[in-house]
This record gives sequence, C-alpha cells and structure tokens, in this order.
Amino acid sequence: MAYDRKQGGHQIAQANRPDYRLEVGRAEVPVGEARGFAVLDPARAATLRAWSATLIPAGDGRPDAGEVGAAEYIDATVLKVPSLRPALLHALDALERAAAAKAHRPFAECPVDERERMLREFQAADDSDAFSMISDFTYEAYYGHPRVLAALETETGWRGTAPMTGSEMAPFDENALARVRKLPPRYRILPPKQTVGPIRAKPARKGMHK
Amino acid sequence: MTQEQDADVLVIGSGASGAALSKRLSDHGAKVLCLEQGDWVDRARLPKSHVDWEVRGRRHWAANPNVRRWPADYPVGSEGQDPVDVYMYNAVGGSQVGFAGNYWRMAPSDFRVQTLDGVGVDWPLTYGDLAPYYAINDAEVGVAGLAGDPCGPEREPLPNPPAPLGRPGELLVNAYEKLGWYWWPTEQAITTKAYRGRPACDNRGWCTFGCPQGSLSTADLTYWPGALQNGVELRTNARVREVVVGPDGRAVGARYYDQDGVIREARAPVVVVACGGLGTPRLLMLSSSSAHPDGLANSSGLVGKNLMVHVQSFAVGLFDDPVDGWNGTWGGTVSTRQFYETDPARGYARGFIMSGCRGWSPLNLALQIAPWGSGHHAAFDAHINHEISIYMCGEDLPEESNRVELDWNHMDGFGMPGVRTYHALNENSLRLGKDMIAHGRQVLDAAGAVSVRDFGLAPIWGWHLLGTARMGTDPKTSVADSFNRAHDVPNLFIVDGSSMPTSAGVNPSATIQALALRCADHIWERRRDWTVS
Repeated sequence: MAYDRKQGGHQIAQANRPDYRLEVGRAEVPVGEARGFAVLDPARAATLRAWSATLIPAGDGRPDAGEVGAAEYIDATVLKVPSLRPALLHALDALERAAAAKAHRPFAECPVDERERMLREFQAADDSDAFSMISDFTYEAYYGHPRVLAALETETGWRGTAPMTGSEMAPFDENALARVRKLPPRYRILPPKQTVGPIRAKPARKGMHK
Repeated sequence: MTQEQDADVLVIGSGASGAALSKRLSDHGAKVLCLEQGDWVDRARLPKSHVDWEVRGRRHWAANPNVRRWPADYPVGSEGQDPVDVYMYNAVGGSQVGFAGNYWRMAPSDFRVQTLDGVGVDWPLTYGDLAPYYAINDAEVGVAGLAGDPCGPEREPLPNPPAPLGRPGELLVNAYEKLGWYWWPTEQAITTKAYRGRPACDNRGWCTFGCPQGSLSTADLTYWPGALQNGVELRTNARVREVVVGPDGRAVGARYYDQDGVIREARAPVVVVACGGLGTPRLLMLSSSSAHPDGLANSSGLVGKNLMVHVQSFAVGLFDDPVDGWNGTWGGTVSTRQFYETDPARGYARGFIMSGCRGWSPLNLALQIAPWGSGHHAAFDAHINHEISIYMCGEDLPEESNRVELDWNHMDGFGMPGVRTYHALNENSLRLGKDMIAHGRQVLDAAGAVSVRDFGLAPIWGWHLLGTARMGTDPKTSVADSFNRAHDVPNLFIVDGSSMPTSAGVNPSATIQALALRCADHIWERRRDWTVS
C-alpha cells in the first residue's frame, strides 16, 4: 500500500520465477477466518506452522503466529495463486531435510532456539525468495488478526480497532497560532500580470443553452 | 460498430479532473458523456471496512497496479536511475480513491519558475487566473483548513475547520515554535464537520485505505453525485482505445471496448482527455494515425516527456512517551512552508513542504523495524505508539529524459499496451532532497525525539504523476495551451496532472481540479466554436 516500504516492486515481473510481491494482488484472503489446509499435506502444514511460530513467537501476552493461523493463511494464499506453490513446497522440504540432517527430527519437534538457528541458516542460503515470502505473509496474518490487535491495545495502548470504530473529532485550537499569525508574509508577491483570458469564475447557472 | 452522437462534450476518465469538469459543465447545462475504464469502487471492499485493513491494502487494494491487477488496470513498468513505484487507481474517482487528502494550493511563484529562478518553464497562466477556481473547488470538495496562512496569498474562509492537532501535532508545533519557523494546519480534502450530505470525519485515520463513512473527499463522493444528478452519463468499464480524428483535423469522438470487449464509438463535438499522468500520454500515443504518426497532439514531441513525481521522503521520530499515533487523519496535523520558496543560499532552486503525519500502523511498522525471531516483540514495542512521522514533498523539475512510453511487450486485458516509465532525479532534486531530509530530521530533534530515522529518496513514490502533456504558450514546447486545449487539435482538451508544466512542491489534487473547472468554463464560454447544442 501507499506507505509500505516492503512491497513496491519497481519492475513488472520479468524474472524467471513469479514475484510474490506482485502475485499477491490476486489473493484476497481475509485474516482470522477459521480455515484448514487445502494445499499442504499434514506434515508440511506442521512444518509451516512451526516456521511461522518461530518467525513471530509468543510473548508479552501475545500468541505466536502459528496460534493465529498464519500457516493456514499462507496455504490459502497459495491456493489462490498456484504459481507460488512450488517455492513454498520446495522451501518446506528443504527445511525438513536440514532438520533431519542436523537435528535428526522433524523441524516442528525441535526446540525454539534450534528452530531459529536453522531458519537463520536457511535464510542466509535462500536464493529463491521463499523465506521473504513466508515471512511477509506471516507478518500479515499476525498483525491483521483481531486477537493480536486486542493484545496490542492491552500491552502498548495502540488502538487497533480505531479505524473501525472511530471517535469524535475535537476542535482545532487556533490559540496555538498566535505567534505565526504575526509573522510577515512568506511567499513571493509577484507584480500584477495580465491574465490570459477573459474568464472570471462565477457560479454556474443552468439554462444557458442558446 | 455502433456510432453515437450523444453528447456536447465527451470526457475520457472519471478521476479528479474528469469528475470536476463533468460536474461543472453539467452545472452550466452542457450534455456530458464520460467514459471510465474502471468501475465504481465497491465500498464494502474498502480495506478499512475490515479489521485486517492493512493486509487488504497490500493485496486487492494495493496502489501499485502491477500488484492489484484490477480488470481495468494496465501494466506499468519502471526504469531509470530512480525508478518510479507507480501508485494509481483506475476506477470512478481515479487515483483519489486511494489518496490521503492532503490538499494544497500552489504558490504564485510556482507559476513563474523560469522567470523567477531560471529553471523549468513558466506556466501559461497565473495564480490569479486559477484562484477563483481553487475557491469553487474548495466548496465542492469541502476542504478543511484555515485561512490566514502567511505562506500564501489572502483567501476566503475554508468551508470546514482544520483537523485537530492531536499529540503528534502538538509535538511538531512545539518544535516549530522552538525553531521560530512558520507552520499552519494542513489543508485536507476531508469533511471535518458534516458537509453536503457527507458525515464529519471521526478520526479513523489511514485515509489511503479507503474511507467507509465517506468523509474523505474522493471524486466519486464529491463531484460525481451532483454530476449524475445533472444528467451526466457515466459509462464504466469503457476502455478507450483511441481518440478518433476526422479529416478536418478535429476530434470527433473515441473508440472504446465495452465491458464485453465489444468495440464502440462515442461522438461529441468536444473531446476531453482526463486519464492521468500515465493514462493520458498512453491514450494520445495509442491514437496515432497517418496525420499524427507520433501520437495525437504530439507535434512538439513532448507527449509522454517531462514526467515529474516530486522529491519525497519521510522522517520518523521516536519518542519516550506514547504519542496516540493511531488517532486522527493520517495525512494532516500541521505543515510548514518555511523552505518552500527558492533561497540561493541553500544551493538549489525551488523548495519543499513538510507535513506532519501520525504513527505507523502495526503491520507496516513491523515490516519496517521488527526483525523476526526472539527479538521481535521487544523491537516492535519500542516503536509502536512512540513514533510520529513527517512527510516531505519537494519540487521535481521537468526533464525530457524522464518519460512515459508505450510498452508493447506487456498488454492489458484488452490487448492494449501498458506503459513504461523512465525517471532519474536530477542534481537539483538530489540537493533539494538532501536538504529536505535534513530539515525534517531537525524538526523531530527539536520536538524531543530520542532518535530519528528517514527513508532517504528511494523508492520514488509515484502518487503524483505530472507533466507528460504540458501546457504552454508555444506549440513547439508544449502540448496544450493555457486553457488546456491541445495545440494540434482545436477541440481536444487535456485536463489532468499531465497538463502541469511544473510540479510545484505540493500535493497536486487541488490544482488539477481547479484547472479542470477553469477548462470547463472555457469550453462553455466558447461553446459556439464547438457547436455545442
């Protein structure tokens, strides 16, 4: 969106692989809706849930990303954008291979510090953009979720519901302008110049047809 | 092919300018037909109608058409040293449906930049020519603000009062007072009280994500209801393929695909192109013919040239105490034009504004500053509700090398080419940008920020797409005359941001709409020339 520092793709997608930053425009997936998995099998779903929970763990009264359905949200996204499925599936399989080789157990069964270490290694070696995709989608699922927004209000005072509920607008206090009002004009006053045409704006009146 | 001759004036594009012009002409009594390639925005799908509005804003509501890909969108490529991240909407109301509502008048000097500062070009009209139309537009839109700003000419009272300062505004006012600088409440296209059937703003903020209650003055809510009531016919999902020119060199209408993809033709004695800074040159170039081999109205060779987007950045201050950054209109607390006029001592021509904003919303903030993993919440909590930001906007001078071209390698859904933009900041813009950011940081330091970060000059936010079919007095160096009439085609008008010869250093919507109103009056006053009924 307009002020988003992470989204703007400067090019029309021309790379050999689809750019998820561009592809997601076709995936309107409401956050927080109860849903299961449609694309991922149970094993890969478990890996993705653990992955998202490692990206944003629980803390300060807040759930982890897995608890609020980030993995299901990612699954629903690639359901709508099939071109993103290969990157997701390959990334999940690569992570599981690494977990088997280094920890001798599924990624989801590793302790959180080990999961974080493995993900940092994966991120450093990832040339597929899959890590960024899963990370961005996880952030979306997390910070769009009503449960997280409610926790933020409690913990930080940030009213995440304000855009939905609003509040009465207070008046502007003109007293604050006392000093500025006394300042001299600060724009270049140009000599009068003939206007370019005869038109003088006036209220439009109907019935002027000839 | 169905031929029609059903209007006095055919308007192509229903955005900020097309809406204003259609309403004004129909107020006079003209019969107007408007073709819009997009559709009405489904207000139930506005992001802010939903609690996950930030996510929806990144997906189906994304301002970049390459992401959003609505049926009416066309591909937009970005190249050059400083490529433009294009933000635009193809819908009834145009790109205003995703704007923040910052609503500035240009200064008198903005119309004379070549004469005064030796850069760019002069406009073929003056501030005085446009001022009455700014006023009409203020009333139509319901602008909120306060007359008396010493950084601009005297003016009539505004129809709505300014939005409140809020805590972010108070911090900035304290800074400006400490620095001894000018400041003023930001003018906004937002109804801060109930106005002409629209409700008062109630502080929901994040205005670019849509305003479900309708307090944000987008053209679909301001001009279009009255225009339709006047009898203007608005045909949506009408993708114009070309402006049709008769053997006498006059425009006779336009050919367009209807929503079923069937080619149609609409005819009128006056044709107005109002498709925006990219869409207008695209259509003019698509309308090439043996008589106009380089594109319609392009004998100057300047259609598509001189693309300007403004030099922009944000500075963000971190404060010890909470700032209530969630509360209120996003794009307006207070602004300063302290550095708006040229000062040779600063080492560059022209200037910039700084406009206070509020805090960053959770998802956007997290993506900016909260790394994943065990440190995530601590980093996030250190910033959320403790930051305020300043939007900075400076003048981007015209350069012919900054341009828009047709892109035949990327087509829209109707087999018409997209466009490709090329943009680089020139040396003046780089110097201006560096100074602008330094002053933004200075304000936040003075406000008591414990730290300040800024966004630099990249990416180039393409909210304001200007200059690609500019006005001027000389047909060799401009596309349209002082009343937005194409030099080459006597009954063709160009009334959107593409007609602006220079960008000024402010958000352009108010100027674009004032120009459209003025053009409408000109068309009406000269109606005998066009044989308007």
